Amino acid sequence: MIRQALVLGVVLLIVGFAGFWLFERPFEWAIDPALPIPEVPVDNPMSDAKVELGQLLFYDERLSANGTVSCATCHIQALAFTDGKARSIGATGQVHPRSAMSLVNVAYASRLTWANKLLDKLEDQALTPLFGDNPIEMGMAGREPAIAELLRSDDRYKILLPKVFPLDRDPYSVVNAVRSIAAFTRTIVSNNSAYDRFLAGDETALNEDASRGMELFFSERLECFHCHGGFNFTDSTTHANARIDRVGFHNTGLYNIDGEGAYPADNTGLYDMTGARRDMGRFKAPTLRNIAVTAPYMHDGSAATLEEVIEHYARGGRLIAEGPYAGDGRRNPFKSEFIRGFVLSDIERDELIAFLNSLTDATLLTDSRWSNPH
Amino acid sequence: MIQRLLLLCVAIWAVTGCSGPEKQLRIPFVVLFDGSEIGCVPSKAGPSLSDLRFFVSAVRAIRDDGVAVDLVLQSDEQWQQADLALLDFEDGTGACDNGTPATNTVLRGTLPAGKYHGLLFTIGVPFEFNHGDPLLAAAPLDDTAMHWHWRAGYKFMRAGVRTADDGFWIHLGSTGCEGTVKNITGCHFPNRAEVLLPEFVPGDDSVAVDLAALFRGTDLLDTRATDCSSGRAERSCEAPFRALGLDFATGSVSNNQNVFLRRTGQ
Repeated sequence: MIRQALVLGVVLLIVGFAGFWLFERPFEWAIDPALPIPEVPVDNPMSDAKVELGQLLFYDERLSANGTVSCATCHIQALAFTDGKARSIGATGQVHPRSAMSLVNVAYASRLTWANKLLDKLEDQALTPLFGDNPIEMGMAGREPAIAELLRSDDRYKILLPKVFPLDRDPYSVVNAVRSIAAFTRTIVSNNSAYDRFLAGDETALNEDASRGMELFFSERLECFHCHGGFNFTDSTTHANARIDRVGFHNTGLYNIDGEGAYPADNTGLYDMTGARRDMGRFKAPTLRNIAVTAPYMHDGSAATLEEVIEHYARGGRLIAEGPYAGDGRRNPFKSEFIRGFVLSDIERDELIAFLNSLTDATLLTDSRWSNPH
Repeated sequence: MIQRLLLLCVAIWAVTGCSGPEKQLRIPFVVLFDGSEIGCVPSKAGPSLSDLRFFVSAVRAIRDDGVAVDLVLQSDEQWQQADLALLDFEDGTGACDNGTPATNTVLRGTLPAGKYHGLLFTIGVPFEFNHGDPLLAAAPLDDTAMHWHWRAGYKFMRAGVRTADDGFWIHLGSTGCEGTVKNITGCHFPNRAEVLLPEFVPGDDSVAVDLAALFRGTDLLDTRATDCSSGRAERSCEAPFRALGLDFATGSVSNNQNVFLRRTGQ
């Protein structure tokens, strides 16, 4: 009798799990079918409830040591998830050496942040802003119990976490919070710009200026597309069916402090990690989607406008005449071979900027799927 | 009866490898600056501690026959695993205000009975444990303050001193790693320091950590030089690395360290 009950219990358990597995609605990406499906780590599958939870956490200032900043403080939706500052500022006021990167299409980024060839998953990247202490961003190092307590006590978190992670003995963990934020961040995909409508067949989507700017952008004369190519406008792009690991870091001749290629000591790019001279000043090419709303530009926010950026590339490297960073970036020995300089008329420059403006996706900047849910 | 008892004794002796019972012992650590103990609370005598936490692994004692014998640490699910311990001297007060209250300044472990003169240990996390996920790791590797997320490994040591607003700190850890996070295949600059303290008697002696020696080549009052985070561009790392016995150019052990010292008595 007891044995029969036990067998019945096991059978019911198996049927239950199978049913759960079979009938759970698969996650549907709300993206243009023309775009590839982003790669998702096997240990953090997407679900609608997880994305909802991640959105709440992304906007929750209680995830910082003094309750003053959330992820959204440096990643503001209206600014394509940048913060408009040259260098971002952490919870305690410490200034970051670098400018906050846009989170647009971050699900397609083969490597994360400006100059880190090791970081390829949002779940790992999230630990730096949460727990990093040099500089302090959210300042939660050593405060993991406070995070668990928040997850356990908040009215919405305490219901959502067991729902999102039903198989966990204790779902109220930091790793589950991080996984949820990563899942939400992966949904920030831009595919409704004028350029996307043009690609989809709407020939009126780009005006004449933008069309000519597009030709300039994809020309061998300007060379922009070598690093900012593909649907994501960066060569560090991957997706679920990508065959190769595409990663690019480039020295664009922004600095040349000692005449031997040096960048400012707090921002040497990949060199800081590898120690190889050839890695001096090498940074990742960011996506150009929504680039018009993400000023100031470059890893350190040292270019205020798109005009300034184009001027830098037209010259083939930036000349800094005086000050501690004086030097001719054009002569940086580690500069990418694609930064050769070009001559561009004022009209052509405006056309190029018109094309860059056509990459702005108003839906992404305003849609409630990515806005503050609190 | 007596014969059988004798046989049993011989059998036990053979199985345990002639060693007899194991000895439980403590190895306390103290923090010094120019010979005086320092803490997080500022004193008039000199700089105060702003941080000191480090991982110790591969602890061995040198038996009098010259063999290095493993000192097995007691797992306590907070500070120690069998071959790895986190020592933490900062208590979150004073100049250590970015730290946490809990401290741990003693290694607790066992050695087979015998006579020992000499202690060996590594400052660092062994490669095979250094590149996992800190959120899923067992203590003490679950301490996010000791994890170096963007370098994809742990900070082996965080140490700093401060005088008023001036100070200097070092974060030591492997750099130049290859692969991707959780799939790290190797690191060009391991930066694991090796400590050998001859004549150290485990159970009787203590280890002194001399921060004055660590920062001897560093101007602690120079406001431009504030830190070393093991980055390749940081010239400020050269002196503290040398004090730890490491060649900054290669990340390997190159000379005897002079930061960790034998102190007689406990």
